[in-house]
Amino acid sequence: MRLRTKIQLALLDNLVWVLLAVFFIANAFFTPAFLGMKNQLNILYQSATLGLLVLGMGIVMMVGELDLSMEATLAFAPGVTILVAQQLGLGPAVCIFMTLALGVAVGFFNGFFVAKMKTNSFLLTMSSQIVMRGLVLFLVPFSLAGLDKGYTFLGRGRIGSLQIAILALIVIYIIFEFVFHKTVFGRKFALTGGNRRAAYISGINTDRVIICAFVLAGLLSAVAGLVTAGRQNAVSNSMGEGMVMMAFAGAILGGCSFNGGMGKPVGMLGGTLLLGMIDNALNLNGVDVNLVSATKGGLIFLAIILDRLRFKMSADIMHKENMRKLVQSNS
Amino acid sequence: MIVAEEQTALELRHVTKLYAGTVALEDVSLTIRRGEVHGLIGKNGAGKSTLVGIISGLVAPSSGEIWINGQKYTSLSPITAKHQRISIITQEPQVIEESTVMENFFMPGYLDNKKVIDWSEMRRRAAEILDQAGFPIDVSVKMRNLSISERQLLLVIKACFVEDAEIVIMDEVSASLSQKDQAILYRIIDDLISAGKTVVFISHHTEELLRVCDWVTVIRDGHNVGSVMRGDLDKKKLASLIVGSTNYDEQIMEDMSAMIQEEEAFALKNFTSYGKFRNISMSVRKGEIVGLAGLRGSGRTELMKSVVGIDTYDGGTVWVAGSQKHYRSPAAARDDGVLYLTEEREAEGLIPIASIQKNLTISILPRISRWGVLQTKKEEQLADNLIRTLDVKAFSRKQNIGQLSGGNKQKVLVGKIMAYTPLVCLLDEPTRGVDIEAKESILNTIHRELRKQSCVIITSPGVEDLIKICDRILVLYEGEIIDRFSREEFSEKQIYRAMQGEVIHIDEVKKS
Repeated sequence: MRLRTKIQLALLDNLVWVLLAVFFIANAFFTPAFLGMKNQLNILYQSATLGLLVLGMGIVMMVGELDLSMEATLAFAPGVTILVAQQLGLGPAVCIFMTLALGVAVGFFNGFFVAKMKTNSFLLTMSSQIVMRGLVLFLVPFSLAGLDKGYTFLGRGRIGSLQIAILALIVIYIIFEFVFHKTVFGRKFALTGGNRRAAYISGINTDRVIICAFVLAGLLSAVAGLVTAGRQNAVSNSMGEGMVMMAFAGAILGGCSFNGGMGKPVGMLGGTLLLGMIDNALNLNGVDVNLVSATKGGLIFLAIILDRLRFKMSADIMHKENMRKLVQSNS
Repeated sequence: MIVAEEQTALELRHVTKLYAGTVALEDVSLTIRRGEVHGLIGKNGAGKSTLVGIISGLVAPSSGEIWINGQKYTSLSPITAKHQRISIITQEPQVIEESTVMENFFMPGYLDNKKVIDWSEMRRRAAEILDQAGFPIDVSVKMRNLSISERQLLLVIKACFVEDAEIVIMDEVSASLSQKDQAILYRIIDDLISAGKTVVFISHHTEELLRVCDWVTVIRDGHNVGSVMRGDLDKKKLASLIVGSTNYDEQIMEDMSAMIQEEEAFALKNFTSYGKFRNISMSVRKGEIVGLAGLRGSGRTELMKSVVGIDTYDGGTVWVAGSQKHYRSPAAARDDGVLYLTEEREAEGLIPIASIQKNLTISILPRISRWGVLQTKKEEQLADNLIRTLDVKAFSRKQNIGQLSGGNKQKVLVGKIMAYTPLVCLLDEPTRGVDIEAKESILNTIHRELRKQSCVIITSPGVEDLIKICDRILVLYEGEIIDRFSREEFSEKQIYRAMQGEVIHIDEVKKS
């Protein structure tokens, strides 16, 4: 393969990062105060919660399902934990463990029904989302403040000027990039999503893979819950509301598809940062909040169109390369 | 059934159909008279479905003429076919599952009274038609709740009585019918003929053709090799027309039986799944290739799927390398080295958006990894080796498999099995839908490479592929092994007749 073709394909594969770079450069020139270190860190910090949800959603989409309940798990896991902790006087380490365990439990519940009972994941996770949000609204009337420092460390803590949440986001993405790129466990997700029946016949325990995907999504939602609770130094009953749509947006921008089998963490991170950067840049330019949201919607539309174009373009590039090879071998 | 009047209903004159690179039909002429049941038979790939497509308006011929009721066409469209009252019933019944019997009957027009659907009239008419057809069923039942056999029969009734077709084409309709429903089908055909209608009847079963049809046309390698009146035919004669005189004996690949080892690798004892297959017993040694010959529906696919745990079974035992096994999932079978290659390449075999490399290594991920981490170099080498051995025509191992041609996709599927070096290979139609070159290459690989460490059980759309590479052939008919052929006795004609249910060697079957 020629170097040029290789570069073309690589750029197409990482289209979201190309968009991100273009957007970054444009803003560096036109948006005041955009380029500063402080603002850049701010973008990352503001993106931490969404980034975790995008990753969870991306993993579930990789196996060809979707999870609407993530945004409710984000409030449910810390909410229930803190309520119990206040009754029993639990320490921060136990609380963190319990939050994560609740996230895993919700994920397992979703995954079990989707994999074993073959329920539709849209309907199932929609119902668990409504149930959990309802419970949180009932149990946590307004918000629970006065959290332990240990519990909020992930959301509030910092090393120098660097927030722990940013560090955590990056470390988690690096781990998952490794898992999906280099391990047997990770490889099975995309294979299952690419053609579940074929993967099953080839000896992959597809039910287990699907359950694992939902468990990871639940776990990441719980981590996102910890970050959010830390950031506002309280657990409120409206945490995460409406975020699931943005999680979809990030995952789709990052290369995931509703048909499953596609997507990698690097792309999902790019999708998250693009959304975060647009938010930030428009805010700095004084654009109305509702208009920002409309812009993001337009971006999702663009992503869907680009996804189709990308498919066609990569096929075209391959075709040209094939032709070139044929001509070469003939002469 | 007496031919009422010698009048032509449909005639093909010198019809040729070319597809890119292949001739599907060459200079085929055919006359179907009004009021007769005209049978069509031929091996898989003989050109039968192209012919049916031309008559029903789905395929346009490259040259030649079609005459219907004295009118000449160079090609038909579904609309002209409908206009000429030609109806086709396909192999797989196509119904709207969530709608009722009567709605399916009158779709897409419905019965209306000033644009308002007249339900009571529809119910009355549907019940009347079913009564006329002698098929008692509630017209307000949803299609979803009916068996495949009942759905198929309802489509036949729709074509015959609702659409009131002059020419009804039944494309392997009886294959999905239960015995009871088959009897109803034959009665409906009788009624049609006495009403002066015409039926084109396609089937793989010679016995059925000889019972139902007045004339039988045999298609072989894209030619009409004879339209014969039933009185001049018997099963044997029909079989030899279908198979032809091509001598596949010359194409038998060299005898590799020296590679067969003593130890038994795989055995079935009284293996049974009610309604699919029963009392299947076989013993296969390491290095041996055993062919399973049988028509579609004879139970070969079902048998393989039950062995590896995709489907369940009701009785009998599976033995692998001397110990009894009962697999509940393909993963469990794979761990013992029992691998299944599916006949449904696109639906069950490939992961189209994954690369060739990922498809090749899907069954052996633990083997190319250490502590759960994939060893990239090892995987790449393995993929490159397999691509070379199988001669997969691809750009690179990273290319998506969905972009390859059918033959190359199939090679990758075979490679996926080879990568594992299994103990038992169950290959369900590994040569289905591939070009000649790919077929040769796949058969060669199975014959020379795959049998080195494994025993192979293989099915094929045509007997000729089995004859080339197998050491033995078992013939399945309606779910039972009714005959066995050893390499010396291979003859396409004999095996073909056995597949039709004739018993060729009575004694040996009794012995085993």
